[in-house]
Amino acid sequence: MAETKTFRAGVFSVVKHCYLPRAVAAHPRFELIVVADDANQPDWVHERNQKFADEFGIPYVRDVAKAIAEYDLDLAAVSPEAERHCDLGVRASDAGLHVIADKPMSTRLSECDRLVEAVRRNNVKFMLWNRNYLPAVIQAKDAIANGAIGELQAIHVDFYFSKDAGPPKGTRREGDPPINWLDRQMEAHADGSDGGVGVEAMGELEIEGIYPLGYIHLLTGQNVQRVFARTATHFHQANADNNVDDLATVSLEMGEGIVGSLCIGRIGAASHPDIGEIKIHAIGSKGGLVITEARPEVSIHYRDQPPLEFKNERIANENDFLLMDDFARALDTGSEPILNAQNGRDIAATVFAAVESGKTGQPVEITH
Amino acid sequence: MAETYGALSTRLHRAAWAAYAPVNSGGTGQALGPVQEAASAEALFTDQKEAFDAVVIDAGQAEAGRLAKAASALGKPVLAGVVGDGFNTLGQADALLMPAQPWRFMPSIQSVKRSLDAGKLGQAGLLRIHRWLPPGADADSLAERILPDADLACWLFGGAPETVWSLQSAANPDYIQFHLGFANDGMAMIDVAASLPSGGDYFSLTMIGGTGAAYADDHHNMNLLYGGGQPNALRASQGRADLVGQLQEFVDAIGEQREPSVTPADTEQAMAVVAQVLESAESQQVIGRKEGN
Repeated sequence: MAETKTFRAGVFSVVKHCYLPRAVAAHPRFELIVVADDANQPDWVHERNQKFADEFGIPYVRDVAKAIAEYDLDLAAVSPEAERHCDLGVRASDAGLHVIADKPMSTRLSECDRLVEAVRRNNVKFMLWNRNYLPAVIQAKDAIANGAIGELQAIHVDFYFSKDAGPPKGTRREGDPPINWLDRQMEAHADGSDGGVGVEAMGELEIEGIYPLGYIHLLTGQNVQRVFARTATHFHQANADNNVDDLATVSLEMGEGIVGSLCIGRIGAASHPDIGEIKIHAIGSKGGLVITEARPEVSIHYRDQPPLEFKNERIANENDFLLMDDFARALDTGSEPILNAQNGRDIAATVFAAVESGKTGQPVEITH
Repeated sequence: MAETYGALSTRLHRAAWAAYAPVNSGGTGQALGPVQEAASAEALFTDQKEAFDAVVIDAGQAEAGRLAKAASALGKPVLAGVVGDGFNTLGQADALLMPAQPWRFMPSIQSVKRSLDAGKLGQAGLLRIHRWLPPGADADSLAERILPDADLACWLFGGAPETVWSLQSAANPDYIQFHLGFANDGMAMIDVAASLPSGGDYFSLTMIGGTGAAYADDHHNMNLLYGGGQPNALRASQGRADLVGQLQEFVDAIGEQREPSVTPADTEQAMAVVAQVLESAESQQVIGRKEGN
């Protein structure tokens, strides 16, 4: 058996719920070497970086360039606040490192473009974190690829996270200040619902839209060309105070004449017994396909069960492993990862177009 | 359909079938039990009008409109499906007129509506419907096909949408999706296809409100049949409780001398939304107000 290289990974900031660097560490082809971040970051960022470094017994270096220079890295696992994703990704790329970045790609399309260019210029590999290797998504991909429903004509994704996000909408008392977005996200770190961590407020479309749009990209192989969206704040005071959506519907027009839609929301913990109803509906020339993204799962119920504990547990979920396998294959063979920089940028363009459409009430064309 | 209605007769309170007339067929009313029969609806309305108190019309649009008008002229309460000229041409009659919209009476839909009306779900936020049918299963036209979904959206949100956007598939003329915007940031996203292979249909309705959500989903209600190869899915049937509920509401509205829960105005509203959906698909324009949400 040929010896395979173990790739040395630097963790460039780890301020969220750290699934990304944990997935890197869990794969046998990858090894975490160092955590690094910029010295001028606030104390809470340094605290989280240090805590993660301590857990893995690796150093924390408050100087990204120094970490790159001294630790002989192959790749960077980039997981800071969303607004810093691309900047750290570009700096890693310019140092010749491959990059795995957390979602969302950025809060600005111009930053996504800068990253795409850096990845191309430096001839490195980039993968945006996604859920395209969930068992049910693979099943959907196989069914469509095998022609089970004929030529794909329409695809719809329902993506509802039944999580709370602080106080319900309408609970702010007169005279109380609006909820600060970053404060709320830092508070949410405890229960892992800090997907929108950062200074810039983001709606659910921006935070989670990458996942369902990633499915659509995987299953259609097409870019979205035009969107029409409605966006609203229905559930959470933090979203209302920061003027960002927590519920959105998006009509999609894609290449090859495929149409579709996305319904997405952070709909509150009371609205579903598990993480939420997440489904893919596809219509083809020969039939239709209905996929529940959470399956396979096992139901577990017991006396004194905490009310917020999920009653159905996903099983056989190898998404993290398969994503890292995919990235290792890209590094070994030069193939493109399942969601590369250009794909991520195109999805981000769809998200930003949808946000704009929600504000203007008009369809928005997307330039690729 | 006489067999279907006949099978429901034992489940109705304060009502029984009394007379039967075929429409565009030579069928008999035997399945309805011991009823008076006429050769045609015209003959029934002329010669045996004392034999019945109210009229249920199950016919195509043109016939339904003509017969509903004739029955209303006799002062008889009428339950009829979509009528050709629209219900506004019949609504001037004094007699009770209830449009047949059995989808509202499906047990799953009734459950969702009750939850919404009881305030369990909070303010309606998002209605998501996927409805797929085999070809020719339900309607003569695209407009007729999507009427139930437009009506459900209006009913669940309590009014007509402010904006309408729709898309069709160039490759599939039997497919349409439409995107409705309601007051108070309500929204509906609906896709309807009549291009499944012959066989079963599929329906999924989700209503997400500010404090809860309801899921009426065929996918969730499937049983399995093993007969070799991949298992087949068997949908747990809701029977014809929709027709029972609709007929009982018709009977109760007559008995209580009140307006039925489904009115001609409801149907006219849904038909107007359908027209906007088709207009948007044709023009590729947003129909309704132009400012953002």
